[in-house]
Amino acid sequence: MSLINQNLFLKELKRNRKNLVIWTSIVVAFTVLVLSVFPFMAEMGKDMTMLIDNMPVELQKAMGMTSQTWSNILGFYSTYFGIYIVVLVSIYAASTATTIISKEEKEGTSEFLFTKPISRRTIFWSKMLALLVLTLSIYLVQTISAVIGVYLFKEGHVDWEHLFFMQLNGFFLVTFFTAISLFISMFMQVKTNFMGMVVGLTFGSYILNAVAKSTEATKFLGYFSPFHYIEFDVLSAEYQFYGWAALSFTIVVIVLLFSSLIKLKTKNLAG
Amino acid sequence: MQVISTKDLTKFYGDQVGVKNLNLSVNEGEIFGFVGPNGAGKSTAIRTFLGLLKPTSGSASIFGKDIIKNGPTIRQQIGYLPSEVFYYPEMNSREMLEYHLRFYPEGNHHNINELADFFELNLDKSIADLSFGNKKKCAIIQCFLHKPKLLILDEPTSGLDPLMQNRFFEFLQEQNNKGATVFMSSHILSEIQRMCDRAAVIKNGEIIAVETINELLSKQLKKVTLIFKEAPTDVQTPDSFLNKNLHHQKMTFEFKGQLHELLSWLNNQPIQDITIEEPDLESIFMNYYQR
Repeated sequence: MSLINQNLFLKELKRNRKNLVIWTSIVVAFTVLVLSVFPFMAEMGKDMTMLIDNMPVELQKAMGMTSQTWSNILGFYSTYFGIYIVVLVSIYAASTATTIISKEEKEGTSEFLFTKPISRRTIFWSKMLALLVLTLSIYLVQTISAVIGVYLFKEGHVDWEHLFFMQLNGFFLVTFFTAISLFISMFMQVKTNFMGMVVGLTFGSYILNAVAKSTEATKFLGYFSPFHYIEFDVLSAEYQFYGWAALSFTIVVIVLLFSSLIKLKTKNLAG
Repeated sequence: MQVISTKDLTKFYGDQVGVKNLNLSVNEGEIFGFVGPNGAGKSTAIRTFLGLLKPTSGSASIFGKDIIKNGPTIRQQIGYLPSEVFYYPEMNSREMLEYHLRFYPEGNHHNINELADFFELNLDKSIADLSFGNKKKCAIIQCFLHKPKLLILDEPTSGLDPLMQNRFFEFLQEQNNKGATVFMSSHILSEIQRMCDRAAVIKNGEIIAVETINELLSKQLKKVTLIFKEAPTDVQTPDSFLNKNLHHQKMTFEFKGQLHELLSWLNNQPIQDITIEEPDLESIFMNYYQR
């Protein structure tokens, strides 16, 4: 028996395309909006630097800002990247993950799908492949819009490699949030509205890391947030791809996926 | 050959019984009825056959293959009609049926348009706009479309008007004549009486009888009504006459036993008229459940 059923895979893409277009439009619009503001901010450069210098150090750390942040387009973009782009894309991908299987049960169509001549394993991986394609689509389009935005609104030198690393690093956070949300949804009642859980999880993780960064006393909290392991401080000269973190996240994602599959395989489908 | 066979198949929901120690065998080419009131375990058994539910213990095989190990292979040859139909609301019937068909290996399938004409279904109407009965028609077409060897029907006629029910049973009979085995659950006994060769009666998750429809009917009490020429004062009857009731010239009783016993007794009675009624499944059914 094959791992992927093409019929189901295509159906999932078709079923989710409307949502994909809406979310992609929001994320792209946001990216372009943020980047288009940069020239005005840079103009006020000195004032902004002063403003940031006057901010409490804790707040600066929490927001990932230094006095240079707003004089460089990448620095400027990076302060929005974590909280808005990664969190927004994660909310999209994770909420799709929570419904991609549970929706069949919630709406009673599981009786149609699960009585077809395909195994639950095939159903699971076909849906996961569709989820991956949807997530890659929104993320890739967002990345392209960021590159175009940076190119259009940049002033002075841009370290393209750092932008690329940041976008790549962000994707591993997105996949982590997606996998953990899927996993949690497998153990919850199908009638649950998962959106609250997804927003709480992604946004909460970001806030937790921000709090952890602000003072020494709260530093330990950071270990509980995935944002702690992948940073977006693109202005640092050694900014790089977090290979080890990416590998660890990938392993966690694989474990979460297989655990979800085992749960699905043993589940009784309610009528 | 046995198409469905179960061995002590048991399904519990927590500590609630779904089905218990189910032992069934359905032969190739027969139309097998599964009779019982709501909540008796009919759908639980069916959903277990289809792999939607995992059995708590026991086993079942379809076409000689284990339902758990070979689920996908078995389901290639099954047409399933659920009692309640849930479809993707964003599709129309044609898209739904085409989507369904693409899950099966290519082959000699029924034609969607022909079946839609036969069952009078508008294929281009969105699922969301279909009435309960029309959704059911779409499900019926879906169930037959890939020409399965085994049809599993759960309350097949609920939601259909009598005309459509008739058409459905005609079509079902035709498929059966061509070799399809049918397993149908119902609480409408006239359907079972009309269609089935054999039936199992299920009560509280356990099978209490598996018999041919003729046996089911013959084993039961016959209702006898006599009209005497003159109103007798007292009538002596054998012990096998039950629930005797004498009123003027008319006497009614229920009879279960050898027919010649009844006939020889009748021979000596001054009777003017007699009616012997066959029990219908309805009363047999009530009989089973009141025991």
